[in-house]
Amino acid sequence: MSAPDASLRKALLARRVVYLLLAAAIIVTALAKIKMKVVPSPLSRQVYDRIEKLAKDKPGAPILLSFDYDPSAKEELYPMSQALLRHAFRRNLRPIVMTFWLNGVGLCKELLERTAKEAGKESGTGFVFLAYKPGGSNLLLNMGESLKGAFDKDFYGKPTEGMPALAGVASLRDIPVVVGIAAGSSTEMWIAYGRDRFGFDLAAGCTAVIAPDLYPFLQSDQLFGLLGGLRGAADYEVLIGKPDSGVGGMPAQSVAHFLIIGLILVANAHVFLRWLKRRREA
Amino acid sequence: MAAPIQPERTPAQRVAETAVLIACALGFLAACIAIPWPKDGPSKLSMEGIGVFVAAGLTLIMYSFLYRDNPLFKVAENLYVGVSLGYGAMMTWYLSLKPEVVDPLVFAPTGEARVDALLHRTVPILLGFLLLTRLSRKHGWLSRYAYTIMIGWGAGIGIPIVVHTYILKQLGPSVQPLTGNVWDILGGVVILVGTVSVLFYFFFSVEHKGAGGAVSRVGIWFLMVSFGASFGYTVMGRVSLLIGRVVFLLRDWLQLNL
Repeated sequence: MSAPDASLRKALLARRVVYLLLAAAIIVTALAKIKMKVVPSPLSRQVYDRIEKLAKDKPGAPILLSFDYDPSAKEELYPMSQALLRHAFRRNLRPIVMTFWLNGVGLCKELLERTAKEAGKESGTGFVFLAYKPGGSNLLLNMGESLKGAFDKDFYGKPTEGMPALAGVASLRDIPVVVGIAAGSSTEMWIAYGRDRFGFDLAAGCTAVIAPDLYPFLQSDQLFGLLGGLRGAADYEVLIGKPDSGVGGMPAQSVAHFLIIGLILVANAHVFLRWLKRRREA
Repeated sequence: MAAPIQPERTPAQRVAETAVLIACALGFLAACIAIPWPKDGPSKLSMEGIGVFVAAGLTLIMYSFLYRDNPLFKVAENLYVGVSLGYGAMMTWYLSLKPEVVDPLVFAPTGEARVDALLHRTVPILLGFLLLTRLSRKHGWLSRYAYTIMIGWGAGIGIPIVVHTYILKQLGPSVQPLTGNVWDILGGVVILVGTVSVLFYFFFSVEHKGAGGAVSRVGIWFLMVSFGASFGYTVMGRVSLLIGRVVFLLRDWLQLNL
């Protein structure tokens, strides 16, 4: 066996050991049913407080929820979408649900119909499912001019004109709060083509990967709150008092993070010791 | 997904790995049959039950890539692409083409409605067809007209909006007065130093030496902190995906009470 081949095998083995440790840590934590206290972050609380305020100031107000993801981001974004919908239904707000992701329509429909059934709400009166239309930013601009012009029918084929759930909503300007749950760049599109142009309050929920990119928009008040990854979902579940898969995933998440931190420390110590050894030999 | 660099396998290793793969597949099927499912839930042979088995099998196959690229992974990978495309095509038809093009033109309730639909949709439909000419080498140039309109319109709408959102709106919090409590002032100083030093790092007209070099080095530190935050969030995201799949396998497939 040649030397490079041996080192490659060693690296592969080390990588597989890391995967196994990570899988074992998550499986054992899940099976052990460890409970963990989740303290909501200020950014998650801001989203919750704003929706509470909306329900108090304008009972039965519309709230637009844009679920811009597909099944590949389901594990992170589905729990927070579910918590937001439950909150909106509980406070008798009128969720207007849509997506910019074609492959996310089925996921949205299942989630919306299930949470609406839980809350005893019906399509057309308690909520509207606008589903998907192509166009991206152009569609947003169109919605800003006329929501019913952009979506003349809902997902079920009912005309949006005269629909009780859309009473008083002519365009995006008539929607006080929008929450964009995104696995891609659609939150920035909502900021640039929606919030900054039509003046509604915007909050974001996103996968953990894109959360750092959205922090500058919090500072400039272009976003009033942020739910980042599974942690954001867990925060929101705690805030609405209905723990689900977000809270359930937190112990495993923490154990996995400790494991990764430990592995980083071990790997760095190993490199440092090797450097010391080489230095002594030189 | 590109296969990771791996050492060549001997024929004996190939045979052994194929045998392990077949054994794993049979083990999975045996587990699906043997696992007791609750009587009050959906049966194993219902659409939901079969869906859970298919999803569990595909999840395990996708994770088998962590050991080594293998034929089952290739099948699952291609299946994913095919299903996504097929689903996307059907949804495009039902949510876009049918309600926007076919229904208003073909199934218009009145002649007046048809004329109205024609007036509003003829140009967009023609532009859409022009885009399809890309499929032909001979007539592909026609698509440029559609692209020209798209790019011109997009730039005209997009540039002012992007300048407003990403530059003008961001300038405000970057140059806030240093007032308030200690933490506000400290935060303001960090933002100021970070913005200036990172901007200077990307200023390549001056050699980064002396005082300039020091500022540039501070900029690198800020960039490193930013990369670290992004990496931390990325790890969190990937671990969340793994947790979701593990919980699915344990709870929905193996029917364990978590």
